[in-house]
Amino acid sequence: MIEIEGLVKRFGTHAAVAGLDLRVGSGEIFGFLGPNGAGKTTTVKLITGLLKPTAGRVRVAGFDVATQTLQAKRAMGLVPDEPFVYPKLTGAEYLRFVGELYGVPLADMRRRIPELLEMFELSSWGGELVESFSHGMRQKLVLAGILLHDPKVLVLDEPMVGLDPKSARLVKDIFLKLAERGTTIFMCTHVLEIAEKLCGRIGIMIEGRMVACGTLAELRAQSRTDGLDLEGVFLSLTGGAECSTLLRFL
Amino acid sequence: MLDLLLRRRARSLTNTLRRFTVYEWTRNAAFACAGLGLLYGLHYGFFRLLRYLMTIELLGPLLMWKLTAMMFLMTLSMVTVSSLLTALTTLYYSHDLRFLMKAPVSLRTVFLDKSLESAFFASWMIGLVLVPYVLAVSRVLHLGWGFFAAFAAALPPFLLLAASVGIGFTLLLLYLFPSSRTRDVVWVFSSLSLTMMYGLVRFAQPERLIRPDALKVVAEYLNFLQAPTAPYLPSWWLARGLRAAADGRWLDYARDAALLWAGAAAVYALLVALAGATYFIGYSGAQEGTLRRRVHAFAPLLGPALLWKEWVIFRRDVKHWSQMMLIVGLVFVYLFSIQRLPLDSADLRSLVSFLNVGTAGFVIAALGLRFTFPSVSLEGRSWWVLRSAPLDVGRVMRQKFAFSAVPMLTVALVLGMMTNHILGADRFTAWLSLGALLTVALGVCAMGVGFGSLFPRFSVENIHQIESSLGGFVYMASSLFYIGLTLAILAAPMQMHFSERFGRPVWDWRVLAFSAASWLALNLFACVTPWILGRRALENHE
Repeated sequence: MIEIEGLVKRFGTHAAVAGLDLRVGSGEIFGFLGPNGAGKTTTVKLITGLLKPTAGRVRVAGFDVATQTLQAKRAMGLVPDEPFVYPKLTGAEYLRFVGELYGVPLADMRRRIPELLEMFELSSWGGELVESFSHGMRQKLVLAGILLHDPKVLVLDEPMVGLDPKSARLVKDIFLKLAERGTTIFMCTHVLEIAEKLCGRIGIMIEGRMVACGTLAELRAQSRTDGLDLEGVFLSLTGGAECSTLLRFL
Repeated sequence: MLDLLLRRRARSLTNTLRRFTVYEWTRNAAFACAGLGLLYGLHYGFFRLLRYLMTIELLGPLLMWKLTAMMFLMTLSMVTVSSLLTALTTLYYSHDLRFLMKAPVSLRTVFLDKSLESAFFASWMIGLVLVPYVLAVSRVLHLGWGFFAAFAAALPPFLLLAASVGIGFTLLLLYLFPSSRTRDVVWVFSSLSLTMMYGLVRFAQPERLIRPDALKVVAEYLNFLQAPTAPYLPSWWLARGLRAAADGRWLDYARDAALLWAGAAAVYALLVALAGATYFIGYSGAQEGTLRRRVHAFAPLLGPALLWKEWVIFRRDVKHWSQMMLIVGLVFVYLFSIQRLPLDSADLRSLVSFLNVGTAGFVIAALGLRFTFPSVSLEGRSWWVLRSAPLDVGRVMRQKFAFSAVPMLTVALVLGMMTNHILGADRFTAWLSLGALLTVALGVCAMGVGFGSLFPRFSVENIHQIESSLGGFVYMASSLFYIGLTLAILAAPMQMHFSERFGRPVWDWRVLAFSAASWLALNLFACVTPWILGRRALENHE
């Protein structure tokens, strides 16, 4: 469902993504981890067509993002790292707007929008302007927006940030259910616990390169960290052990 | 602490300059040269005017200084209006306020920092236009650089004082009406009052005072010229000080300059003192959204979703209402001014009707700078919603164009038809000028969307930063050039028409065909070039 070949993105002389090859299959939840500045958000933007790659190719649901952009975008749903939404629209109007953009039939919107607002506990806020929403509520609204048009591929950049525990649990269940139905989920996160529980495969990126990729067991083998949890594996790959030395200065 | 806050701005600027690539340096240098060219053009125009005034015996210097005082008064009022529009977003909605409010920095320091920022954005462009004027005064009177230095030293407090009105008004408004709905209502009424005040001042016909025939006796006219223009306003202090500097009365100049600096210091000290008790209440109120339940109907949208979104957002933003009121006021004042023009012959009225394409075109271009040019940038940080949707960038641009074109065409139609009616222009001139004006409105609209897409600024916090950006300048300069060329091309058929009126039928169909082809080519070039460049830039925007 997501096929990435030789993906490179340079900003001036700096390579934010330096040759990425990856394939995420249908119904798979793929976790994309890495320290700050590793190139995760850039990769998300390249997959969703928000950035043009310097080299390489991305295909989503069989469509080339560079040449069949609109078809690829129609098959995708994005939750960005910062959920900015038009502040002067109400929650329900935002969903309606997204539905119109993605060509959701009116009858479906009439049924689905109240359902989605109810599911994310936003029913009582559906008629309020987004400018009065908290960060978590906006995050839920954006999630509701992508579920409205039922995409084949979900690209999520820190989808759990700002969510209360109940909503976070709901979102996790939704992702698992969608994956069961064959939706591909590509998720960037810093919450290793979520990645460990949700993701079938995990990729770890450092300085624009994928340094490890596979199931948790495969990651342990690649990093020679038998018995450690994902946090241990992640820290051993990203140099987290140096932190303990630095902490002594405090 | 204020010096630290100001240093961060200086550091941000130097960092931006240091990171410019050769292409960016070249591009900015080219635009800077174009800007200097425009300022030189203004200077040349002012110089010719002042030199002419000085040739009028006895009255010349009086007229020149009267004009100078009026220029300063006009600048004062323009900066005041501009500060009313800028202060709200800068003082209460800036991106960095969340950080500054959390930092251990006194509220008054934050307020002063933001006030200076607001004053800068409200005044720098208007203040810049004074430079070629004062240089022209200096040249006409053969004054040295000392005179210009005197002006440069007195200008900052003058602009600060002008901008303090908007800052003070906003500070009090947000303090007294922290609830967003009440604030919106008060904001609209304030704008309405401002529009009415503007209309009243204009309808009082101040131009009568500079026409000697409007006054009964020569002595009365001389008295008017010698009398101060709004003596209690800073614009008069600046004018009086500069006149003293021009006469070599440096002590008098120093007194006026000191008055300006002391006035600015006193006003800002007062505002800062008030801010201690009022700023946070307003800031806190501004963070609250407008809680107003709306029932969402699931009827089919009347028109495309993007247009619907534009309309909903436009009508919910109270700042737009106030600007609409100012535009309505502007249109009335424009038509009133046309009506008051002392035109005696039918030919002269027809000529003015044709030239109206230029002046009304300028008004439309200025409206475009406020509404059309920023429309793409105003998507702001929600741009990702459209960019990640299965939506062609061209479609976004087309719908922005459609949304802007309707009001622009309406204003063009009203200005064109009413002007022709008031002037009693003949049928040929009326149709030609109306057609030209409607075409100019469409052309300016296409250029606004095109240049707005070519120079998008999604992360700005204030619409004035979009308007006064490099892209805003390019748009405005290109629009004025386009309007000028339109007039130049259409001058040929107008000339033939006038020749016919004077009994000399000289219709040359080859010239007419050439004019029509040139006009078509100009419009195609003006619309298509920025559109294509803008579309490409928006598609590749990172």
